Amino acid sequence: MKFGIFFELSVPKPWSERSEHQVYFNALEQAELADELGFDQVWAVEHHFLEEYSHCSAPEVFLTAVAMRTKRIRIGHGVMLVLPPFNHPVRCAERAAALDILSNGRLEFGTGRSATWTELGGFNCDPDLTKEMWDESLRAIPKMWTQEIFSWQGKHFSVPPRCVIPKPLQKPHPPLWVAVTSPETAIQAAERGIGCLGVSVGTPKEYEERVKAYRRVIRECEPVGEFVNEQVNGVTFLYVDENEEEARLWGSKLVYTFSLLAAHFTGVSSIYPTPAYKVPGLLFALRREQEQRSSPTAAASSDGGIIREGMAIGTPETVIKQIKLWEEIGVDRMVFLLNAGEVIPQEKVLRSLRLFAEHVMPKFDAEAARARDSRARAAR
Amino acid sequence: MPDYGQLAAEQLPHTVPVVAPPYPPPPWPLPGARLLKVTYETEKDVAIRWLPPSLGRPIPPYAHVIVGHYPESPIGPFSLAVQTLGCRSRFLVRAYSLQAVTDSPTALIALREVWGFPCLLGKVAVEEKGGDVEARVEVAGRTVCVAALRQGAPIDVEVVRFDPYLNLRLVPSIQDGQPPPHVSLAQIDPYYEFKHALRGRAEVRFPRPSEGAPWHLVPFLSPVIAVWTEADTELPFARFVMPY
Repeated sequence: MKFGIFFELSVPKPWSERSEHQVYFNALEQAELADELGFDQVWAVEHHFLEEYSHCSAPEVFLTAVAMRTKRIRIGHGVMLVLPPFNHPVRCAERAAALDILSNGRLEFGTGRSATWTELGGFNCDPDLTKEMWDESLRAIPKMWTQEIFSWQGKHFSVPPRCVIPKPLQKPHPPLWVAVTSPETAIQAAERGIGCLGVSVGTPKEYEERVKAYRRVIRECEPVGEFVNEQVNGVTFLYVDENEEEARLWGSKLVYTFSLLAAHFTGVSSIYPTPAYKVPGLLFALRREQEQRSSPTAAASSDGGIIREGMAIGTPETVIKQIKLWEEIGVDRMVFLLNAGEVIPQEKVLRSLRLFAEHVMPKFDAEAARARDSRARAAR
Repeated sequence: MPDYGQLAAEQLPHTVPVVAPPYPPPPWPLPGARLLKVTYETEKDVAIRWLPPSLGRPIPPYAHVIVGHYPESPIGPFSLAVQTLGCRSRFLVRAYSLQAVTDSPTALIALREVWGFPCLLGKVAVEEKGGDVEARVEVAGRTVCVAALRQGAPIDVEVVRFDPYLNLRLVPSIQDGQPPPHVSLAQIDPYYEFKHALRGRAEVRFPRPSEGAPWHLVPFLSPVIAVWTEADTELPFARFVMPY
């Protein structure tokens, strides 16, 4: 089991001139610390127009800053929207390769298609076509990285013979992933031989069938890249404290704030009937699970039922138990959301990360333990 | 001759006495309904201005014009056109009713008294021609809204959804200028069994704005989508009552 962190870069209102600056630099500090503590990956989303919820519209820039400040942690696009109306696939390949070079070969290339009308409408992107656009780009980008001269005649974009540069440092290319919020996409990931990047905050039970289906189908895959990336990332919230009550207090604030911000943008399936978004996805799941939740006040006083199985919220012992649930269903990596709307003060977020690295990580990640021992020796 | 009172109907304070209603109690089965839902993006300031404090505006702000023709109901055939604002009740997607027009006096009473639709009496006409469906909403001789689906194509009914309505549950003050002594929101979740559906380009116009039926105050900024469907539906009792 490996561990990572996941950034949405949510910026709460009221905004000041420095609000976004503060959130970005808090996140960079968290990423630096995660690198030092032995976390394996740092991921950043690509979202547009999702005010307050995510101000991470240029993740390649943010991730480059992370790469420049860190040494070993892997740098993940979680995900890049590889649809031509958002990002021309050639630009996707170029930017990702440049980031792979600058990070010394640490890039994980997650792909996706967006699940909100807010974003698709903003880029005048037809929701019916996003799945096939994603598929076409996904098949082309590895070729751009590996072929000296690339050309493409597709349904959604075409390129005459050109040398797409730079090439990534990792050979043949960085690992490929797709954001998965539905069982259907997990199967599609497996069919294409790419990693299953969980981006919906579900319980281990909800993930279990998805993981099984992914493992089964990927054995027969036809990889779109040069190699098969058989890995499953789960995602959940993280807040660790020595005191269980304190952990649940802050953890419930985190979950509530994230869910509330997410509820206010417009999922495709909630407004635009299309077979391309049959499964409601992350937003619907969040809304459904919050339907019977209590008020923020109640959530703060107990946890109001807002903390679900599998969330890494509690004392180190509690969190170890929760992560074992993920391990049991075959998840390879867990990625954590650390904050939402800056509802947890930065010093508490950093402290939670340290507690996790000190008490939880060694139970799962021998590599992280070795890194920590080596740092301790160096300090002596 | 006795001295009769002189209070004109125009001067009456608002009351809603529900005794001997001229309609049966819910649920109302409404088989064979034909429904047009036209969704469009509107202005942020408008959404914030017209939503109650307990509801959040979505990003981007959007509105629906929902026009239903109900050929069979417990009170006979009627039509209902509703303009709603897309909103969020905490985590949940809802449609807050702003304007409504029906063409049946009995439906008017029931829709107001039982379900809280802010109904006026008027005309609601729906015309289906080829792949186009156009609805016209008229109040006091003025066409306050035209909503249309253009170039419709069949769509799987599994992906069609209508959000629950949130309607005002209001006991008006009988004193001029005083706030209502009670106001809350009633959530109405009609049941739908869709038979077939068309999806097409959305178009909304407000040809003759009316102060009494101000549909134009939720302006059309850009189209989202329009859906035309036939469904067996049912208007139930309010599912929840929530704070205003």
